[in-house]
Amino acid sequence: MSTAEANPSPDSPIAEAWAKRKVVVCVGAGGVGKTTIAASLALGAAVQQRSALVCTIDPARRLANSLGLKELGNAETRIAPSQLASAGLPPESPLFAMMLDMKRTWDEFIERHAPPNRRERILSNRFYRSLSSVLAGSQEYIAMEELWQLRTHRDYRLIVLDTPPAGHAKDFLDAPNRVLDFLDNDAAKWLLTPALTAGKFGLHLFGSGSGYIAKTLAKLTGAETLEQLADFMLAMSSMNESFRQRARQVRALLASEETAFVLVTTPQLERLQEAVEFHTELQQNHMHVAAVIVNQVTAAPSPRDFSDASVLQSPLREKVQRTLQENSALADEDAKAMAQLEANCRPTPLVSVPRMDQEVHDLKGLWKVTRALVAG
Amino acid sequence: MERLLDKRLWIVSGKGGVGKSTISAALAVLFSSRGERTLLCEVNASDRLANLLGRGRVGPEIVELADRLWAVNLQPEASLREYALSILKFESIYKAVFENRLVSYFLRFIPSIQELVMLGKIIFHVEERLESGGPKYQRVVVDAPATGHAISFFSIPRVLINTVPPGRLAKEAERMRLVLEDPEITTAALVSLPEEMPVNETVDLGAALRDRAHVQTSLVVLNGYVEERFTAGDIEALAAAPSLQRAATQHRAEAAASAAFRRRLAEAFELPVVAVPRLFTYPFGRGAVDSVARALEAALKAIG
Repeated sequence: MSTAEANPSPDSPIAEAWAKRKVVVCVGAGGVGKTTIAASLALGAAVQQRSALVCTIDPARRLANSLGLKELGNAETRIAPSQLASAGLPPESPLFAMMLDMKRTWDEFIERHAPPNRRERILSNRFYRSLSSVLAGSQEYIAMEELWQLRTHRDYRLIVLDTPPAGHAKDFLDAPNRVLDFLDNDAAKWLLTPALTAGKFGLHLFGSGSGYIAKTLAKLTGAETLEQLADFMLAMSSMNESFRQRARQVRALLASEETAFVLVTTPQLERLQEAVEFHTELQQNHMHVAAVIVNQVTAAPSPRDFSDASVLQSPLREKVQRTLQENSALADEDAKAMAQLEANCRPTPLVSVPRMDQEVHDLKGLWKVTRALVAG
Repeated sequence: MERLLDKRLWIVSGKGGVGKSTISAALAVLFSSRGERTLLCEVNASDRLANLLGRGRVGPEIVELADRLWAVNLQPEASLREYALSILKFESIYKAVFENRLVSYFLRFIPSIQELVMLGKIIFHVEERLESGGPKYQRVVVDAPATGHAISFFSIPRVLINTVPPGRLAKEAERMRLVLEDPEITTAALVSLPEEMPVNETVDLGAALRDRAHVQTSLVVLNGYVEERFTAGDIEALAAAPSLQRAATQHRAEAAASAAFRRRLAEAFELPVVAVPRLFTYPFGRGAVDSVARALEAALKAIG
């Protein structure tokens, strides 16, 4: 592995991101290889002696697998020099990885921001206990909370954030607002106003002016559910300002010069529309998109391959010809999709990563992807 | 094969990008071609079925696609409305209460109510009866969310039973749990590709569905299967043409991986694994779904 490969040409959009950005956010649909790309991006920076952390919320532990770690936890873990050395990489490359623990990040957030007298009430509420695993947008929100914490309190030269699979940029960008919506206590206040103005903290949903609505809702949910939920929202409401402030800070971080997005996709035509829409949404939200990374692109066989095949003996000739035709069909489809993607995402550069001979599941494989990222 | 296919509710899941929608559509086509009234459900998805089955958008209303084949794209708002109306009976009450902005915030905050009402609709159709008494749909195939989301989606009844106090919601959740956990009614069909990570994920998914959602898996589909084409001798014979040799070597490696992953899945699940060959049909539409359905049927027959 030569030094030249570790120091790619400066006109590569990926090399530019390594040089200029401190945060790279990998976004895209499920199953496109986002986690692999995120890890390869961090590896490339680390090999250049830029300390790099890749942070994933992937519940399937793919990242740990490919970095040669058995388990990946909430703590930042440095990839051992021996692991790097055995993949032929500079052993001292400062590469770190971590996986988000949703529940722990939420708990820490509550402990930091909730008034002491409410903390226990929140942490022990039944709704809180399922909040982190079920609230829509909370995964994305917590990923950003963690990103903000890491960016503020650690001094990595580059943080690569692997995001949950999303079909739309808004799933990610609007997550803080959605969480805020949920926590907005207007609804609770409105339903509970009479109880509150009476100076009581106990809830009397059904004796109030909004009793009709409450009663109707209770038919669906049960009365006690409503009361507990209201109690929870009330307890959380003291933290609204903290949420709002953090949402603003995260938004500012995402839009700042130090952050770039990479949109990861594969060349299948059925994925195309989704990727283009995603890209448009990012641009409309004034996010900087460093590159659209097209993963698993099939290379077309050359004319020479076909002429070589035609002189082979049967049945080997037919076998080879059939294989070349199949590869051609795949490559044609990929090329068509790439052309459309390029036309629809201008001026964002396209970076293609060829389909690998072997599946990427270790550091060696990741390094191949890294090289492809700066070569394309 | 008859025994294997007699389950009523089919949950099709796997890692993102392995071809869940295709396999779901193919299963549904297979059931309907065998004479079963079949409903194919997408869960709040970006309407892949429309492309696959060669028709316009499939929305939240059930549409008939072909003889004995219906489809629906479940959406949370529509499902919630249906659910609420089934209890409240009056549209005007629904409007007064649910179309209130504050109430909709409030309601969305109840853990997983969106998923719960979609799951509720699936279960409703499983239990729905014709006037003659027979089931309205003999097979319900769910093109379920990918791994992580699938586990939480189908664990919702259990989570809710532990979260919400006794009451209507808890009762609904309990009703759903009983259907989901009945191995005579419900089964998971897990889809994988012959690659390391999708296979690992499929094995983990099977265990998580069993342990957390109490849903049994009875069918494992290995999609994109590559049959061996080149022998070791063939590869040697191509030494003079390195580029062709590379292509042949790659094909042979893919075939070897296909066979190895098939064995690994078979061992992990203690089930025969159904292999669906990789297709080179473009665009991927109804024709491709039909050929996948035929491949599924052939593979299932081979299992016996």
